[in-house]
Amino acid sequence: MSKNTNKPGLGMSAKRKISDTVIYIVLILMSIIWLTPFVCIVLQSFRVENTWQVGYVIPKVWGLDNYKNILSTDFVKWYSNTFIMACFVSVLQTIIVLCMSYTLSRFRFRMRKPLMKFMLVLGLFPGMLTMIILYRVLKDLGLTMENAVPGLILVYIASSGMGYYISKGFFDTIPISLDEAARVDGANRLQVLITMIAPLSKSIIIYTLLNGFMGPWADFIFAKYISFNTSAGMNVAVGLNSWLSKDMIATRYTMFCAGGVLVAIPVTLLFMFFQKYYVAGVTNGSVKG
Amino acid sequence: MKKKLLAILLVAAMILATLAGCGKKDGTTTTSTDKKGGAAATEDLTFNITVWVPELAVELTKKQIEDFNNTNADGIKFNPTIEAVSEADSATTMITDVESGADIFFFAQDQAVRLIQSGALSKLGVQAAESVSAANASGVVSACKLGDDMYAYPLTADNGYFMYYDKSVIPESDIDSMEALIADCEKAGRTFCMETDTSAWYLAGFFFGTGCVSEWAPDLSSINDTFNSDKGLIAAKGLYKLQTSTAHVSSSQGAEFDSAVPAAIVVSGTWDYNNVEAILGDNMGVADLPSFEVDGQSYHIGSFNGCKLLGVKPQTDAARGASLHKLAQYLVSEEAQLERFNELAWGPANTNAQNSDAVKANPGLSALLEQAPYSVPQGTIHGSWWDIGKVIATDVGESDGSDAGLKAALQKYEDTIAALFNMSTDEKEAFSVIGSIAGDGWSVDIPMTRSAEVGNFWYTDAIKLTAGEEFKVRQGASWDVNFGADGSLNGPNVVVENDGYYFIKLAVNDDTTEGIITLEKNSYVNGWTVIGTVSGSNWDADFEMEIQDDGTTFKSVDKFDMTAGTEFKVRQGHNWDVSYGNGNDNYVVDADGSYTVVFDSTTGTITLE
Repeated sequence: MSKNTNKPGLGMSAKRKISDTVIYIVLILMSIIWLTPFVCIVLQSFRVENTWQVGYVIPKVWGLDNYKNILSTDFVKWYSNTFIMACFVSVLQTIIVLCMSYTLSRFRFRMRKPLMKFMLVLGLFPGMLTMIILYRVLKDLGLTMENAVPGLILVYIASSGMGYYISKGFFDTIPISLDEAARVDGANRLQVLITMIAPLSKSIIIYTLLNGFMGPWADFIFAKYISFNTSAGMNVAVGLNSWLSKDMIATRYTMFCAGGVLVAIPVTLLFMFFQKYYVAGVTNGSVKG
Repeated sequence: MKKKLLAILLVAAMILATLAGCGKKDGTTTTSTDKKGGAAATEDLTFNITVWVPELAVELTKKQIEDFNNTNADGIKFNPTIEAVSEADSATTMITDVESGADIFFFAQDQAVRLIQSGALSKLGVQAAESVSAANASGVVSACKLGDDMYAYPLTADNGYFMYYDKSVIPESDIDSMEALIADCEKAGRTFCMETDTSAWYLAGFFFGTGCVSEWAPDLSSINDTFNSDKGLIAAKGLYKLQTSTAHVSSSQGAEFDSAVPAAIVVSGTWDYNNVEAILGDNMGVADLPSFEVDGQSYHIGSFNGCKLLGVKPQTDAARGASLHKLAQYLVSEEAQLERFNELAWGPANTNAQNSDAVKANPGLSALLEQAPYSVPQGTIHGSWWDIGKVIATDVGESDGSDAGLKAALQKYEDTIAALFNMSTDEKEAFSVIGSIAGDGWSVDIPMTRSAEVGNFWYTDAIKLTAGEEFKVRQGASWDVNFGADGSLNGPNVVVENDGYYFIKLAVNDDTTEGIITLEKNSYVNGWTVIGTVSGSNWDADFEMEIQDDGTTFKSVDKFDMTAGTEFKVRQGHNWDVSYGNGNDNYVVDADGSYTVVFDSTTGTITLE
């Protein structure tokens, strides 16, 4: 190092400075490109001088009218639908995934390996392939249209057991002697899972909860089909999309932006608080299973 | 033990809570099944119905149905559930599941045939059809009909376009001349917005203006199209003037008046009226479309006119069906249409309503009425026409403006349409590749050939592809059936990853719902393979060869251990129609060794490496 700095020309620190500058410029440019649409949406949501798309970004008149107005539309219903779905899905999915991965990690039973492989293969099929048949089934159960919320919860959690990889990978890293010690002390399997394994897997549990919570906010295709043009059964994505039709967009565009911002809030908040667990969850689980 | 009990209780409570949630909703399900009409409902003529109308019309429709409940003489009562569904969405969703669809719904007339074919519209009775036909404008009535039968009720007759302009820029005296308007816009540095490049709907106005026609038979089996004619050439000349003006922007958004380079003229419809008024205020001018001048004669730009219709879903319960039709008649009555005009500014289809003073005083609708003599009712149109038609504007704009150049653009349009009909069944079923490949920009179909393999496999000839190029595979040169990167219908474009020569292969399933596209280095159809006494085989196995980067040389994938005297040939397409060895004879190996077979397909010579 010291030799290098003595040499004439560009020293190591100067080189580093240059490369850092270049990297930072690239990164800043990338983040500007990436952030622009979000900034635009936020700015547009505060624009009150008119409600249609305009050729400028900074509002001429600022205000909260869009947020006030949106509360008197069906958006509230869509929002609560999505929120309910997100809560149910995150809790149920986490329970299922934990049970599944604990079982696959700790128990040794016939067909365990084939079952895991089978689920891996099954998971490779795109979920959309099942859409038509799921629609028929849910319709016959009466879980479409205004009852889309329980229907969609079923759809979202139905295959969640197959997403066991990451948490099973993590459970595999917890020494089995812990289980054995607890078993010797008289704990049953459920107690082992709840009192021994769960506290150690906080990051994985939160990761699963977060994942489950986010799914329903982003789903469009299933929600669109299953709600079948019934406002009471729509989630935010489908509902907001209905505001983009030819005859609506001119009066709803800024409210659409406000809706987009409102949708981002819970997910953003959750991420801000649980980010460290989320990252830990992803990396913990990546230890080989 | 206690803990176990507690756990069980908790689980039970959870399940109960979940079920309770369902239970409540199940309650509504029962009422929704009632909608389909039970024996009880027929007696007292009270029905729960679902109605789909655009969001703007929800409140008014609710009120109108209440009015009907209160005024009808038969004691019919409807409990409507009104959903806000745009006209564009309603037809599409109806078709996916008619049974769950709305009982009464608004839709745009171009969807009528699709809806009739999928059984989503119930036919009007003879009397109803007669009275509705008599009361409404004939253009709209014809849109409700397929053959002699009437399947829908006319709601509006306002789906056409006219011209909004900024009075502060455009002098009143210029609004009749397209040339003067273009000059005004260019001088003021403002734009002239007409969505010609991306929408055949607007573009066609020029051709209708010179007397051209483009009419499809209701079953789409034929078209009477005169766009490529002397009259069409005049229209193309007018279009050329607009396309080549620096002021022209291909858009139909009223909000263009408020954009970075604001518009002075936007060609759009009544749906933009309130926006434009809000932007321009007192400066808003509304007029019918201008005329353009060619060879000293002036031609008024024409337009399409369309309408919104109301449909009634077929019902299993006759009384319910009859009651719904009564409601439908009420909803399209003169009174109801005028109400819709007053509250929503929807232009009525009812002739009495059209002639009322209030309607005549509405600037947007009166511009439409002024435009009406030059407009053409929009009948049933083949879905691919919109794609074929919109290309004219770009072609005309990019031509040199000479008669020959413009005629070429029109000829191309006519050829593309002719190609739609002149296809044999085989051609309609055949797949082709189209994309930004081989120096083309999504305009030429590269044919594929079905191979003799078991299953449904198609190959192109070897094509040179460059990384980043995109393409799709489609059937019958139309987009009705097309595959892309993920193998599903209407999937995303396939993007080429590496440069090279490839045979594009499509593996499609029997009902053409899935098609896997791969880039191959050989083709079962006209690729080359090695066959002979190589690798322990005895003229019974084809060994794959791969096309090389020069596009003509093929090399065997494997290296073969061959002894002197080993014989083989290289044959095309897994059959003996074309094969090469040493001339027509088998190729005989001279000396033992491990060889790659190299074949030059242009000369038919084989070398060993």
